[in-house]
Amino acid sequence: MNLVRAELERLGARRFVQLMLVLLVLAFGVTASTTLAGSHQPTAAELTDARTQAAESRRQMDEVYQRCVAQVNGNLPPGSEQEDFPADCSEFDPVLQDRLPVATDFLPGVFVFSQQAEPLLYFLIAFLALFGFLVGASYVGADLNSGGVVNLLLWRPRRMTVLGTKLGTLMGAVLGLSLLASLVYLATFWVIGQSAGLPGQLDGAFWAGLGAVHARGLVLVLLTSVLGFALATLGRHTSAALGTVAAYAVVWELGARLVMEIVDTAHPDRFMLSSHVGAWLSGRLEFWDASACASASGFCERVYALTWQPALAVLLGLTALLAVAAFSVFRRRDLI
Amino acid sequence: MSAVIEIEGLRKTFNSVRHGRQVAVDGFDLTVGPGEVHGFLGPNGSGKTTTLRALLGLVRADGGRMSVLGAPSPTRLAQVAGRVGAIVESPQFFGNFTGYRTLRLLALAGGVPVSRVDEALEQVGLHDRGDERVKGYSLGMKQRLAVASALLKNPELLILDEPANGLDPAGIREMRDLTRSLADAGVTVLISSHILAEIQLICDHVTIISRGRRVASGRVDEVLAGFDRHEFLVRVAEPERAAELLRAGGLPVDVYSDHLVVGQVDDPTRISRLLGEQGLWVRELTSLRPDLESVFLELTGDGAHPEVPRQVDGSGPHHRVMEMDAGVGEVRGDNA
Repeated sequence: MNLVRAELERLGARRFVQLMLVLLVLAFGVTASTTLAGSHQPTAAELTDARTQAAESRRQMDEVYQRCVAQVNGNLPPGSEQEDFPADCSEFDPVLQDRLPVATDFLPGVFVFSQQAEPLLYFLIAFLALFGFLVGASYVGADLNSGGVVNLLLWRPRRMTVLGTKLGTLMGAVLGLSLLASLVYLATFWVIGQSAGLPGQLDGAFWAGLGAVHARGLVLVLLTSVLGFALATLGRHTSAALGTVAAYAVVWELGARLVMEIVDTAHPDRFMLSSHVGAWLSGRLEFWDASACASASGFCERVYALTWQPALAVLLGLTALLAVAAFSVFRRRDLI
Repeated sequence: MSAVIEIEGLRKTFNSVRHGRQVAVDGFDLTVGPGEVHGFLGPNGSGKTTTLRALLGLVRADGGRMSVLGAPSPTRLAQVAGRVGAIVESPQFFGNFTGYRTLRLLALAGGVPVSRVDEALEQVGLHDRGDERVKGYSLGMKQRLAVASALLKNPELLILDEPANGLDPAGIREMRDLTRSLADAGVTVLISSHILAEIQLICDHVTIISRGRRVASGRVDEVLAGFDRHEFLVRVAEPERAAELLRAGGLPVDVYSDHLVVGQVDDPTRISRLLGEQGLWVRELTSLRPDLESVFLELTGDGAHPEVPRQVDGSGPHHRVMEMDAGVGEVRGDNA
């Protein structure tokens, strides 16, 4: 327990961690203040107008669907023009849409919490994932490079305990900070929605959806923290983790993707970590499938999807592999 | 009484792509008894630091047996780590931490009462500078901080690797006094250093390592005695004539421009008697006892036979090698 306390204090006292926290607060402040400055509570007239526009939009959607069905069934009224509808009208069916236009869609300059919460949360998750990776890498990288780990091992000559405590402390601290930051972040924007905009439709489905994104985001933040930690442990330096990520991005995400496109590899996105990160966060991610429909007749969807289950397996597998490698190497490494 | 440190047949080889296979320690033995202030000498690259790191579990030995305070190292080192204070080379600390905070975190990690921090800072003369950041410390102050970190535990065994590094003459004297006072309090001290005069002043026992092997070990005075050729410097009015008289008396003499060096002198009055009987009066008669530096250089600094592996226990063809059985206190070997 004392070791955890010492590590927690050491982590909190690090300049880099403090700098990242300042940046987090700064980014949060800028986002919140610009949102606040750019939003106002709608007047009764604006609300009435928005409701009218939403109703009109829904009516138009229904009209389009009815025309499509009529054309497909050959029931077009005499004199009506043929339109370029597909054979299947379901994509126009208002009932099958993810969501229908609502009044808040037609309120420019009004911050609507229910509509903006998810993209705002994605921004926070991205920042926290970056924070976790950098802090994870620098926390152990600087310690290995400066001899701090050697100092610690002279006091606690149990390598696995020391490294495990460091990783556990890092994960606990990052998780605690992420929970606190997201709570404060969402609460602030909820207050902005209440006082200088609109809260929107905050029903159970909204909170369940937001909670799922949040939970997946926290898992991603923890995974990136462990990745940074493991890479820096393997390379004995913070820059090893940064270099690995930069090299991966350039060589694989850019270079290999280009090569795969040139040689017409099927579904190249499934080989990219970025695709799996996106699929994990959103639950399902669709990609353009250039090879599809080549021999198909009739309706053909030129997309393929990555879902969260295999994405999680890939991300967890990679992180676990690197973490195990880091611990194994550290266990046997000569600390000179 | 059992030894505080025992090393038998320690071997360590480093392999690197750039430098190939390098034997750092090759069958090295070391025994440090309780209450000793034991000097550990060797030229740069002779294997001192590797030996200490292996003893403290920071480097994996390829062979041999080690124990610290009766516990096999590194397997049971954790059991006695709380009784061992150590610094290995010049430890690095986080520059933006204060000296106090640096020690406090170590105390927390090691389960030592935080109240010990002030005492340790006081012991090394850093009490007034404890609230300053380490990056503002001079090299000597950092070295004192490192020693303070080793003293935090009130250790029974103190291992200091080059503790005088970066210290000015006053600092070296303070370190000497500190070491002596710790030894007087019953602390066993192992000091690795290349400041030979300091070792001779501080230590009662010494082990000399060269090219990864022990070349001498025992009480300092006995090691020196083993290299004593019983030589005397003689200044006299007619050196050539005096040399002839002394040679006639059965003593080997080397003639220099203004003095003679006479060897194998068991009784110096024999010189003054031999010369006085012939009317030659001795102006100076000085014993040329070896000091640690001359012994050290003789054992490690010749470099004249790089192709001949240095051997211990008197088996080498060109090197004067001796060792002492610590338990008996008797010099076993001499000139090979």
